[in-house]
Amino acid sequence: MVDSKPMSEVATKARNALAGVRPEPGVAKDDPILHVVGVQRHFGGIKAVDVEHLDIQRGSITALIGPNGAGKTTLFNVLTGFDPPDAGQWQFDGIEMSRVSAHKMAVKGMVRTFQLTKSLTKLSVIENMKLGAIDQVGESWWNALFPLLWKAQESLIEQRADELLTRFSMGRMRNEYAGTLSGGQRKLLEMARALMTEPRLVMLDEPMAGVNPALKQSLNDHIRGLRDEGMTVLFVEHDMDMVHDLSDWVVVMSEGRIIAEGTPEQISENTSVIEAYLGAHQGSAMYEETH
Amino acid sequence: MDWVRIFENTMRAFVGVDAAYFALAAFGLNVQFGYTGLLNFGQAAFMACGAYGLGLTSQYFDVSFWWGIPIAMVLVIVLALLVGIPTLRLRADYLAIVTIATAELVRLVVRSVKFKRIFGGSDGINTFSNEFRALNPFQPAAQYGIWPFRYSGYTMFTLLVGWVLVAMIAVFVWLLMRSPWGRVVKAIREDEDAVRSLGKNIYSYKMQSLIIGGFCGMLSGMVFALDRGSVQPDNYSRDVTFYILTALVLGGLARVMGSIVGPMMFWGLYVFCDNFLRQLVQSEPLRIGGVTIIQSTQVGAVNYMLIGLGLILLMAKRPQGVFGNRQEMALDGR
Amino acid sequence: MKTKWALRALVSTCGLLAFLSFTGTQAGAAEEDLFVVAQVSNQTVTSGLSSRVPVEGVSVSVSDVSGAVVGAGLTDANGEVKVQVPSRATYTIKLDTSTLPNELALIAGTSDSVTILEDNFTTQIKRVSFFIGDSGVSNTTMVEKISQRAADGVRLGLIIALCSVGLSLVFGTTGLTNFAHGEMITFGGLTAFFLNVTLGIPLLIAAPMVVTLGGLFGLGFNSVIFARLRKRGIGLVSQMVVSVGLSIMLRNMFLFQFGGRTRPLDDFSLQKGMNIGPIKITPRDLTTAIISLIVLVGVALVLQRSRMGKAVRAVSDNPNLASATGIDTQRIIQIVWIAGGALAALGGVFRGLDEQVGFQMGSGLLFLMFAGITLGGLGSAFGALVGGFLVGVLVEMASLVVPSELKNAPALLILILVLILRPQGILGKRQRVG
Repeated sequence: MVDSKPMSEVATKARNALAGVRPEPGVAKDDPILHVVGVQRHFGGIKAVDVEHLDIQRGSITALIGPNGAGKTTLFNVLTGFDPPDAGQWQFDGIEMSRVSAHKMAVKGMVRTFQLTKSLTKLSVIENMKLGAIDQVGESWWNALFPLLWKAQESLIEQRADELLTRFSMGRMRNEYAGTLSGGQRKLLEMARALMTEPRLVMLDEPMAGVNPALKQSLNDHIRGLRDEGMTVLFVEHDMDMVHDLSDWVVVMSEGRIIAEGTPEQISENTSVIEAYLGAHQGSAMYEETH
Repeated sequence: MDWVRIFENTMRAFVGVDAAYFALAAFGLNVQFGYTGLLNFGQAAFMACGAYGLGLTSQYFDVSFWWGIPIAMVLVIVLALLVGIPTLRLRADYLAIVTIATAELVRLVVRSVKFKRIFGGSDGINTFSNEFRALNPFQPAAQYGIWPFRYSGYTMFTLLVGWVLVAMIAVFVWLLMRSPWGRVVKAIREDEDAVRSLGKNIYSYKMQSLIIGGFCGMLSGMVFALDRGSVQPDNYSRDVTFYILTALVLGGLARVMGSIVGPMMFWGLYVFCDNFLRQLVQSEPLRIGGVTIIQSTQVGAVNYMLIGLGLILLMAKRPQGVFGNRQEMALDGR
Repeated sequence: MKTKWALRALVSTCGLLAFLSFTGTQAGAAEEDLFVVAQVSNQTVTSGLSSRVPVEGVSVSVSDVSGAVVGAGLTDANGEVKVQVPSRATYTIKLDTSTLPNELALIAGTSDSVTILEDNFTTQIKRVSFFIGDSGVSNTTMVEKISQRAADGVRLGLIIALCSVGLSLVFGTTGLTNFAHGEMITFGGLTAFFLNVTLGIPLLIAAPMVVTLGGLFGLGFNSVIFARLRKRGIGLVSQMVVSVGLSIMLRNMFLFQFGGRTRPLDDFSLQKGMNIGPIKITPRDLTTAIISLIVLVGVALVLQRSRMGKAVRAVSDNPNLASATGIDTQRIIQIVWIAGGALAALGGVFRGLDEQVGFQMGSGLLFLMFAGITLGGLGSAFGALVGGFLVGVLVEMASLVVPSELKNAPALLILILVLILRPQGILGKRQRVG
């Protein structure tokens, strides 16, 4: 089904470029959209994140994997401005982001979703979607009082939202409260809403968690679709089959550090990755990420 | 028991000045709490800003009454920044704690001997409303209206001003809440991290909401002060905010009509209850089998006890108000 | 379902009322006689200790707002004039300085007339005092003043710390900021009054009973209201508003039963101060301070050492993780409510001894407790101890420079500064987002 769509030029280029990259932690890529240097985040005495170097190739689907407590979500939080780092810099598309506040990141084209879906339960699905649009005239309280100023833009936004909903097969739910959706539908809604910001980099935190197998396949297709439209996708995932299926490149974290990088095939043969997973399962469960 | 009298008073309370000034303040709390999810427990202080803004014109600045409006607006903004800057980045509790504390402090400052020259101490200020009274199109001493809604000319005037303001604020809030601005603040109430990830500066929206709600409180304080012809510090005690909150929840959070219907019902019920109990124990305390159940000095306490109980039950059982929307309510349980 | 809930609320309310009605000291005082009593005494101060001698034969008059004299008289052997007044209104009491005995005058800077406001006329007898002599404070040095304030501050701080442990632990374990916590203190004070004054039980026996009842009161908070709300998944913000409603309801129940005036407990109410260095303190205050300190150290030890204390801290740290490791979270929360109620009740007894007992005694402390636990770190029990203590000391010390009517202002300043500079408080931890 996916293969019926032609792969975009950017994506083909990215895949070809990644094929030549050496599979080692912190390796440089030829066209990174996100470039991370020396990011650290401590909690008490524990170094939750300690990433010396990480490049995300433009136009690729990159998976971020690792055992529980490896610091994947914390890295997401730091990179998206939700958690202040103790050290480090990162650039998105050449723009320095380390001192940019969370809300400005979306405006600049870098959007994220959350591990626990954050659908706005008492807003309808379509309102959820419309919220995602950037630069709305009617979002200033003064303009809000004069519908003439924002009605035209609003109907354009609504049109775009409806198109996205249809694409994600949620069109018939547009007027339901988001709170009435199932877990999987909420995941879809959150992803669709993130796309309303017209991002260049989409960061998905466990997009498959709690989604039933039938929906998983279509989510999979949607994520591929994003890449084929020229967006870059970075996602955290536990399901190794899914990672294998979907990603062009895999980054492995353990105990806050990046321990391996490579194509899915290279990673599945990497002994240090297997050890990290086994080690984490044998060790104490005390640092398990809690939700 | 004089039922006619009770009926008259109750009917008058439904549309009285008290309901009007409560409605204005309730609109403020609705914008802040109902729509944005900000717990402002110091609405009384914003009301005091309005009242003292007017009072200061005669007591301290000796300028025209109309200067009271800009003065009050400045006071509201200063107060909102004072409580908002440290707390709006933090969890909802902190705003509640800081507003309740600040409101109490504001009351202590305006009633203090130290600042008596500025704020008039515990006697308050009562010299500011002449210019307002001069605008009255009604004969102050004459009676207007049809039974049971009969008012003196002066009350008619404040009623008119009060309810016109309520109508204006209702339109204002209605416009705001069906706009993209309203969508953002409602989304902040649901989950602020989600909204932040979509590129909205939630800190700024919360501050705007706090200030807009504060302006509603300011208008409320002005109407109250003009009706009484005086500004008394103890009218802005901590519990006033909570009574307004009760009235708001009674009408239903996050709906425009809730801020009007709630205060009307609140005052109708309150006056009915108060009148009924007072008449019951007017001549002698109510006794059952020789045990005194209630006497005249305790009526006030019983009324407020019922308000507290009402707030508990409403918040636990029907936060969407008496006429609440079932579907929205079902979402709350999740 | 709904009616059942309402019924339960009603039954609990009635139960509480029935219990309180035993304290019905107000009943029967409906048409009470109101008096204004003016007392004139000659005050001499020697090395920080003041002694007062009644002055006889001074003319005092009481007049209402219009200026009409309601009554007048000459002071008796106790230095008192008692004037009956028709209602609780605003009165001005004036002392005729020409009738003072030879060579005596009012203390410099004090007025010969005092106005009592209707608002403050809550008791049946309203007392005003006139002091004659050189000056009330002439012999007090700055050092003495500061050390006296510091001592008072330590006492207030200990009481606040005692009262806020429960507030902070409840926040830590359930996330609820309980605005009705002040009413737990009032409950302690009023119950002590009922046992000690109405029933005549010596306070030393009554106090443990009060603490027990306070624990039950805390248990009631949890099992009648908040446990149910948690079970039904009602949000924390809604729970907070419920606690506000509860505070209003309880406070007015107290007002209903106890009336608006403040009254002293019977035991230990009149004691002479003793001098310890530059500090003057009554044996009663010294004792309550020492007991508070012992209890606080005990609480800290229990939290630090005992199995249960560790469980409480684990739940505060991370409820999900704690329940995953086999801790019965709901039981821990229940224990926290009981302990918090008991400690607040004890604080209420001490506060009642220190000042007097009244229906607002606890809600007046609420703001100081908030400042304390925010300073210490919301949710941290040790933070509540340290923060509460510091706030008490600071508020008393600040009254050296701040007018006493605004003495709570520095606490607000701390609150705001802490939130700007270090929102997690002294002992709190930085929270993880996401």
